[in-house]
Amino acid sequence: MVSGCLARIAYSDVRHNFLPHYLAAVGVLLITPVIFGLSELTAQMAAQPLEIMPLLMGIILLTPILAPEQNECILETVRSKKMSRHIVNAMRIACALVLLSVLIFALGWYMRCNDSEVTVKMCLGALAGAFAIGSLGFFCAAVTDNIIVGYMVSLMYLIMNFFLRRELGKFFLMSMTYGIKGCKPVLAVSGAVLIAAAMIYRRAVKNER
Amino acid sequence: MMLFRIECKKIFRSAAFIVYCAISLLFFLTNYYSDCADVEYSSGGSVAVEDHDRIMDGALNSLMGDYASNRYICYPYGFYKSVHLKEKKRDKVKEYLKEITGADDKGFEEILSKGEVYYEGYSTEKMYSYHDIPVKEGFEYERFCEIMADVDDMLGGGSIYDPENLMYSFSLVPMPEEDIKAEQDAFIKEDKITGGLARLFCDYVGIDLGILPVFAAAWLTAADRKRRMHELVYTRDISSVKLVFARYAALLFTMFIPVAAEMLIALIQALVVYRGESMDMLAFFKLPMIWLIPILMFSTAVGVLLTEVFSSPVAILVQVVIWFRSVVMTDFPLSGETGKFTLVCRHNTAFGREIFLAGMDDFIFSRIFWTIVSLAMMLLAAAVYSAKRGGSFNGIRLFGKDSIFRRKA
Repeated sequence: MVSGCLARIAYSDVRHNFLPHYLAAVGVLLITPVIFGLSELTAQMAAQPLEIMPLLMGIILLTPILAPEQNECILETVRSKKMSRHIVNAMRIACALVLLSVLIFALGWYMRCNDSEVTVKMCLGALAGAFAIGSLGFFCAAVTDNIIVGYMVSLMYLIMNFFLRRELGKFFLMSMTYGIKGCKPVLAVSGAVLIAAAMIYRRAVKNER
Repeated sequence: MMLFRIECKKIFRSAAFIVYCAISLLFFLTNYYSDCADVEYSSGGSVAVEDHDRIMDGALNSLMGDYASNRYICYPYGFYKSVHLKEKKRDKVKEYLKEITGADDKGFEEILSKGEVYYEGYSTEKMYSYHDIPVKEGFEYERFCEIMADVDDMLGGGSIYDPENLMYSFSLVPMPEEDIKAEQDAFIKEDKITGGLARLFCDYVGIDLGILPVFAAAWLTAADRKRRMHELVYTRDISSVKLVFARYAALLFTMFIPVAAEMLIALIQALVVYRGESMDMLAFFKLPMIWLIPILMFSTAVGVLLTEVFSSPVAILVQVVIWFRSVVMTDFPLSGETGKFTLVCRHNTAFGREIFLAGMDDFIFSRIFWTIVSLAMMLLAAAVYSAKRGGSFNGIRLFGKDSIFRRKA
């Protein structure tokens, strides 16, 4: 019964709140072949589109997790409900991650079909980066209660990655493109920590049920 | 003035402004500040010379290799893209190559067979390179440029055969001693050091000013609705133009504060690094004002206008696209990169005074153009705001009645 209720919430949430975001993420996937060459690439060259475009998808899908409640009217309605907001948020994150994984693996598969050297490990690496930057946006939005700040920080972090390869160390998002090892596990863990920290902050400081 | 002060106070207290300041400072410290930490009087690198023979030889051999491999490297959007031509276009390239080399069918096949085979990465596909294929005696450079323009067009643009880039792709030579001396003289005597550094400062700070202000502008414009104060504000006895422009002025003023602080830090750094040299103490305050304020005005105006029209962060998406076009999709070299309609002007060096001055007319035109565009956008924003107050307009919905793009926050 609980799972049925959750499924209904998920369906309603996607339909009313997140469909444009999901479509935008699919749009990013579709414009990838226009911006990048995806065929006959070596592993290092293939890493460039595989690392950059999923980062945009991560920002689009994970940063606005708390966006519906930015509207005070919706927030008041949600506050009156019995269902914990953390469960709803966790469900939104899960939906976003599933879609993110599908899109990244679809991109990897397409590249592989076009004779590019893409492996499952590379797709997982791309997923780790996208998860980390999306989680950063989610965390900032959760702490400041402002989605725009979430977008600002995550987008600027993405831009910083174009200029500050050395300074970012293990938090560098395009490590596969430059053949740097050991960054992706750190990013995956950081993403999880940021999401957990955002949830704890909302519960402890903002008294969110 | 009272309204301006209230709006400034509101912005100062916002998370968006604090994060804006932090990111702006971080960008400045990690880019400009760290790049200018050491004394440097000349770029001392390579310089592009307009040597037609060198350009034609280089481009011909490169095009031969690309034709033989049927793989052309392009950067149409600033990122690597390899293009494969279909039979018809490939034949056209072949005809061009025959024309440039002056070879007939048999001769061309002979030339083609001289290519050296190599492999890229783990790929088993054969790639070819050519080094000593000569251009036909007396071949005209103008015709060569026409051919290269057509090849670039067939490849979809952004290739090394773009006539505007030919010099930088195939004719780079180490800078001669006398040029290094002239560059040093211009930097010390004419730019008085800080003039050159101010150009580099504007180049770096312009990159983040091209995008950062849109976030704060979108936040401030949406803030009334988020706090459900908009109806209260709508009923006030103040004209829409006055209110919108007071908010715009407050945004510009507050967002220029970190830039002004960075100017001061840059000047202090220059005084320390180049101590003992004669410097223009006002250079860091003159050029950046002309260069950077139109960028700040435009990205703020995009944030205000689009948020007002769509009641959503659509502005962020639009400004990201504009920023991407002006910053990431710039052709090299990144010096004196100014067109009549360039928003974010590039000059990624403290030197090259002559190149910068050569494009001064376009530079001035572009600054005036973007200032006027920004003010026109703000007038439009005031009209939209007025229509919203009158109830005749309630924003444009992009995705139907309950769409996220219509979110009033």
